[in-house]
Amino acid sequence: MPVVSRSMRLTDRGIYWVLAAALAAAGLIPEFRSLGNLANVATQSAALAVLAVGQTFVILCGLIDLSVGQLTGLIVVLVCDVAAGRDAMMAPALLLAIGLGAGSGAVTGLLNNRLRIHPLILTFGTMSVLQGIVFTYTDRSVGRAPAAIAWLADGRLLGLPVAPLLVLVLAAGAHVTLTRTRFGMHVRAVGGGRDNARRAGIDTDRVAATVFVISGVSAAIGGLLVAGRLGVGYPHAGAGFELDAIVAVVLGGTSLAGGRGSVAGTVAAVLLLGLTNNVLNLLQISSFIQMLVKGLIVIGAILVNQPGGRRAFA
Amino acid sequence: MSTEAERPRVRMAAIVSGLSAGWLERAAIWVVLLALLGVAALFSDAFVQPIYLFNMVRQAAPVGMAAIGVTLVMVMGGVDLSVGAVISLAAVVAAVLMDGQAGNIGYALAATLTIGAAIGFANGVLIAWNRASPFILTLGTAVAVYGLTQIYSGGTARGIVAPGFREFFNQRIGGLVPVLALLFLAAASLAVLVQRTTRFGRSLYLVGSNPGAARLAGLHGARLTVATYTLSGLLAALGGITLLARSGVSSTFAGRGFEFDALAAVVLGGTTFEGGRGGVGGTVAGLLVLFVAFNLVNILGLNYNTQRVVAGVIIIVASAAYTLLTSRR
Amino acid sequence: MKIRPTAICAALMVIVAALPLTSLAQGVETARVQETVTTARFKKAAPYRVGVAAGYLSNSWVVFCLQHIRYEASRHKEISEILVTDAGFNPGKQVADIEDLISKNVNLILYWPVDEKAIQPALEKAVAKGIPTVNTGGGFTYGPGTVANAFIDQVVLGDMVARQLFKDMRGKGRIIAMLPIAGTTAAVDQLAALRTAIKEFPQIELLSAEYGDWNRAKAKQITENLLQRHPRIDGVFSPAGQMSIGVAEAFEEAGRLKEVVMSPGDEYNGWLKWVTKHGRGGAVTFPTRVGQEAVRLGLRILNGEPVKRGLTVPSEYISPASISRYVEPKRPDDWWASTLPEEWKPK
Repeated sequence: MPVVSRSMRLTDRGIYWVLAAALAAAGLIPEFRSLGNLANVATQSAALAVLAVGQTFVILCGLIDLSVGQLTGLIVVLVCDVAAGRDAMMAPALLLAIGLGAGSGAVTGLLNNRLRIHPLILTFGTMSVLQGIVFTYTDRSVGRAPAAIAWLADGRLLGLPVAPLLVLVLAAGAHVTLTRTRFGMHVRAVGGGRDNARRAGIDTDRVAATVFVISGVSAAIGGLLVAGRLGVGYPHAGAGFELDAIVAVVLGGTSLAGGRGSVAGTVAAVLLLGLTNNVLNLLQISSFIQMLVKGLIVIGAILVNQPGGRRAFA
Repeated sequence: MSTEAERPRVRMAAIVSGLSAGWLERAAIWVVLLALLGVAALFSDAFVQPIYLFNMVRQAAPVGMAAIGVTLVMVMGGVDLSVGAVISLAAVVAAVLMDGQAGNIGYALAATLTIGAAIGFANGVLIAWNRASPFILTLGTAVAVYGLTQIYSGGTARGIVAPGFREFFNQRIGGLVPVLALLFLAAASLAVLVQRTTRFGRSLYLVGSNPGAARLAGLHGARLTVATYTLSGLLAALGGITLLARSGVSSTFAGRGFEFDALAAVVLGGTTFEGGRGGVGGTVAGLLVLFVAFNLVNILGLNYNTQRVVAGVIIIVASAAYTLLTSRR
Repeated sequence: MKIRPTAICAALMVIVAALPLTSLAQGVETARVQETVTTARFKKAAPYRVGVAAGYLSNSWVVFCLQHIRYEASRHKEISEILVTDAGFNPGKQVADIEDLISKNVNLILYWPVDEKAIQPALEKAVAKGIPTVNTGGGFTYGPGTVANAFIDQVVLGDMVARQLFKDMRGKGRIIAMLPIAGTTAAVDQLAALRTAIKEFPQIELLSAEYGDWNRAKAKQITENLLQRHPRIDGVFSPAGQMSIGVAEAFEEAGRLKEVVMSPGDEYNGWLKWVTKHGRGGAVTFPTRVGQEAVRLGLRILNGEPVKRGLTVPSEYISPASISRYVEPKRPDDWWASTLPEEWKPK
């Protein structure tokens, strides 16, 4: 399958150079070098990393999922409200989160396969619906995250921050799935060319539905991390995550046209974004200038990274 | 990446259909719009009152202006997500440059449009010569432009609108058609004309459906890219001016989210991300579908949360209906 | 000690006189606001580094409030530095910002939350490290993470706006309410105050409560549809001036401005201009100088002086007749009437 063999190219590695350069520059700031600060950056980036890893599957498959941000918000609210701070409710809350994430992803996948409308429009619509559901449920912060979830998001295990470890495990799993399994090959094949993939005997609808489910589950896990960090069910908690996730995926070298890209690049891009935030804060740069700098970094990184042609999604 | 070599025939077909799309395909979104208006009229007679309908066109004008530019970019196979930021910047800059003096209006508008065009030009240059993904690149531009707006304004939408400016654009000609609505319809008609009858318009479709063939045909893709993004920036700035005229501006983020409304209108209108198809006419219909939907849920007295749910469902259903209509040819 | 009957009488009279006052505007959690906080453990020697953890900065009221903070700080030699972070409406970022300020060893944190509950754990970390925290702005927070509040009571504000509106409407008619972003303290408190006040006016009917997100264009568009839905609207409850302008414009364009009574807005300059032009509406202030009060309150805590849990900065009613003393016709709409000296006003 030629599509797969073309999937990793050296030009896609730009993000690692950018990240290395940024790390080296940041290393000049004494406050940045402290282990505590580095752990902070990694912990703060964890939720976005999980969402971005999920989005990598979707985009590799040539699709896109704008609904994950609001889905994250819904899960944050429900988990905190149901658990209300009780550790005994941990298991039901987890089940609820994962179930809801997977369920929402499955519905999106089904609609995608049946309606045949552009996934950007479809998930723009479901994003709006989910937002309405979140705010119908509550318009203000509710509940409290159980201690166990707070530990997951903010705690330490053998002196190491838990959330980044979780990201590492999930990202490794995702990497293996995408590079070493049949399903991973199918995802790339569908993203590389749906018609060819179908002709090669791949059940493209099933692949598409599965990646949306993966995206939904990543929103659930991301939601748990956000809930743990905030401690309460804040209804706006997920706003904007969808765009940040997409930006990270594409900065990481995954082509919006599908078929080409990697989880490792995505994680590197998330780190780059978190690092930028942290360094600009440490340097006490005004938030308005920070915004400008962040925009320029996104532009710069995409120029260095050059993931594709002149198409909207390439 | 695999599509380039493997689908030349599809591409050629797309060129043909892009240039002379079947009437049903072009009419489909208008059918959807009429159906939605019919449904809306069942709930409220506002939707058969010309004065209300024209007001809706005026409401839609700021997003609509930007959507025209986004359509042209997308026909060419690109996308422009920076328009919301440009709208915000333009509204603030225009008011600051007017500084409450009617004599400043001309210069303020010219300068604002120039800034918008310059941002579009920068987008175009970066995309044309670096082959970067327009989706992310223009998203990055948006963040940078918001930063510029904040630095320029210090966080408040300072600036004073000149007397007479808003009054002129909001007056209703014949007591019915607001100047702003007319301006938008004129801009849209002009764009339709350009896209149908000029070499520039035809080149957009050619490049959009097959950049390789377009290059062979002697079209300078890079120059076209720069021109189209510049136009998009200019139209977004016009959208910002329109917004300032319609409702005044009380925030430095006045246009936030408009890029997605514009995108939704364009895609509802039948212009695809692949490029080479659709056009401004469809976008106008798609835009009106969105605004009828938003206003309908609002007029029904549904609360804001329900509005979000209903609006989302309408976007999905209208889009699906459109797909169904066009695929039955 | 001998108690004179006249004294008892006088005391009783004061109590009786005060009764209607208290029932008139029962603010947020009065007892907790009045609670005394001992601050000995925060006592420190100058110089002080003051951190400001802003939930957001891209809003003109907040810009003015921050200028008040900077101005007040400039008047105190003991303040050596002001560090400002901006969370841009993201509570997760505000948590990180507060953590950053702690690691930068600030001595005092002033903040306004994106979401008050979400940042409590981060604030508690600060307090545990001996850094006092002062909630600054439009809400009162009672919790271990918030040492004190300098705030404008939005229940009182909403009540004042509602009562002035009902008075101007002669206690009768159908009204709509235009509120800020759903779920914010402002929206929740103002609506609660309106609903409470309305109980005393059986002839006032609330047709619809809408959320205009502090956005003039959005408020206008929503009102355009409300005008379609309701053939008669007698009053508008809109405490935020920047939305009031959008609402009033929609009424004016529909030719229905005459039928409606606009409630007081706030001292947003664009609204003050509108009030000046139309001679109606007035304002109930949402004073930006709360930023200054917060700095003073913070310094007293660093001094180890006991303080009240909540320091309210009272709203005042400005009638349309006296609006000319506040409006700045040569300034932008997006501007606030304030007590800032000219050189400290935003550039």
